[in-house]
Amino acid sequence: MQPHLKRAFIILILVIIGFLFVRSFIVPGSFGQYGWYRGDSVAELRELPVGYAGSASCSDVNCHNSVYTIWVNSSHKTVNCETCHGPSQNHVTDTRTMPTPANDTREFCGMCHFKRTARPADFPQIDPDTHGENLQCTYCHNPHKPWFL
Amino acid sequence: MAIENLIWGYIYPNEAEIQWSILIVLYPYITGLVAGAFIASSLYHVFGKQEIKPVARFALLTALAFLLVATMPLLTHLGHPERGIEIMFTPHLTSAMSGFGYIYSFYLIIVLLEIWLSFREDIVKNALKFKGWKKLMYSSLALFSYDISEKSLHDDEKFARKLAIIGIPSAAFLHGYVGFIFGGIKANPWWSTPLMPIIFLMSAIVSGIALLILLYLTASWLRKKAINYKTLFSLAHYLWIFLILDVALEMLEIISMKYESLEEIEIIDRLLSDKIATTFYGVQLTLGIFVPFVLLILVMVMKNREKLKTLMVAVSAILVVIGVFAMRWNVVIGGQEISKSLSGTMTYVPVFFSQEGVLPAMIILILPFIILTVLTFILPPWKDMDAEME
Repeated sequence: MQPHLKRAFIILILVIIGFLFVRSFIVPGSFGQYGWYRGDSVAELRELPVGYAGSASCSDVNCHNSVYTIWVNSSHKTVNCETCHGPSQNHVTDTRTMPTPANDTREFCGMCHFKRTARPADFPQIDPDTHGENLQCTYCHNPHKPWFL
Repeated sequence: MAIENLIWGYIYPNEAEIQWSILIVLYPYITGLVAGAFIASSLYHVFGKQEIKPVARFALLTALAFLLVATMPLLTHLGHPERGIEIMFTPHLTSAMSGFGYIYSFYLIIVLLEIWLSFREDIVKNALKFKGWKKLMYSSLALFSYDISEKSLHDDEKFARKLAIIGIPSAAFLHGYVGFIFGGIKANPWWSTPLMPIIFLMSAIVSGIALLILLYLTASWLRKKAINYKTLFSLAHYLWIFLILDVALEMLEIISMKYESLEEIEIIDRLLSDKIATTFYGVQLTLGIFVPFVLLILVMVMKNREKLKTLMVAVSAILVVIGVFAMRWNVVIGGQEISKSLSGTMTYVPVFFSQEGVLPAMIILILPFIILTVLTFILPPWKDMDAEME
């Protein structure tokens, strides 16, 4: 083989070796352990601090039992407390830590209730331009029991 | 425009927004130009068509210029270009897309080697002629090996021919594979056909030859050199032949869909008669195939009148390039405008300023021409064009 071709092939082989070398330390060791992802991520995610306490933790008689009873029978029962009130694990372990205030903006309610073509026709939806004169939804609607105006 | 006005009939919720934008139209378009330009150059390099020789090396540079930007539409569309290499680090073999990185790299190596071998004589001569940084550049391109004896060049040529023989199937594979990505989507009746790879390939060759004609004419005009009519009309002849193959396959697909009239025919009819009627019948078939087809026949039967014939070839080439873009549009956008429920349609509205917009698409499409200009400064392919004229 001619010298220039030999050099070209040496470069090509070096590029391939370089690729394999870079790959060997960029692809994590535990990749593919369980599936097409880094196996270690399972353990890492498990170690993350718990943020959400779950709706049931609000129902204690000494806590928010009354509003919980209203909510649990309302049509909003599929929307968990923490969906609007934010993660509350810290508040549950130490009641002096207050969770973030509930999100009661029009846009937040609108994520479910603004009119969208793709939503079922019988699902309550409003056109934000014509409904409610740009007032906050909670001005008229009770989010814990939506039709309890 | 409110989304309700863009939708007709029943569609699934996640279909309302069209995800694959104009950038994904560019992806098969640019890859097609690469494959087409390479195959045009191999008409000389492999099949020994001497009349193509003046543009053969120029065609290789064109292929490289477009190949270098071929991944850009995808990387811009997906965002996070730094993660693009992961498709090669951990390819998930159940996805057709996972092969792209390897096929692309393999093809890039072939094109680079092919260009290097066909320009090596010039590179070595330049390395010996120039001083300073130019000498360094050409010497490194020559890999500091300056043997350009008769025997060495002959061996190079033999090796380059072997490479081009591998190159043709890999060019066909690169682009046929892009067709397969669409053709393999069974949920979409407009895409799912085993003909798709070969249709993509034929339209790629057509667009590649047309682009080469346009670039050749532009280069001759810019350099104020006479056009080699033999080369030009021979390219026009190949364009005509591949145009016939292309239209035959495209029509075959539509006709068999019509004849079979499976459950999806109603939505396909609606797509063709309403959603993409203008771009399909108007641009893709009439302007992109029928008009150039007639013009090219005229070019072949007319005697003398070189100026007029050149103009007709140029117009045909422009129309073909636009027509093939319309074909990619009709496939990529058209396929997304019908719902997988087969009873509804969506509408794609292009935006100008956005990551998915027309502006980045234009930049990506202009980029290869800039790269090509730079390449022709480093490796001028003009010698072949001028040599033939003397």
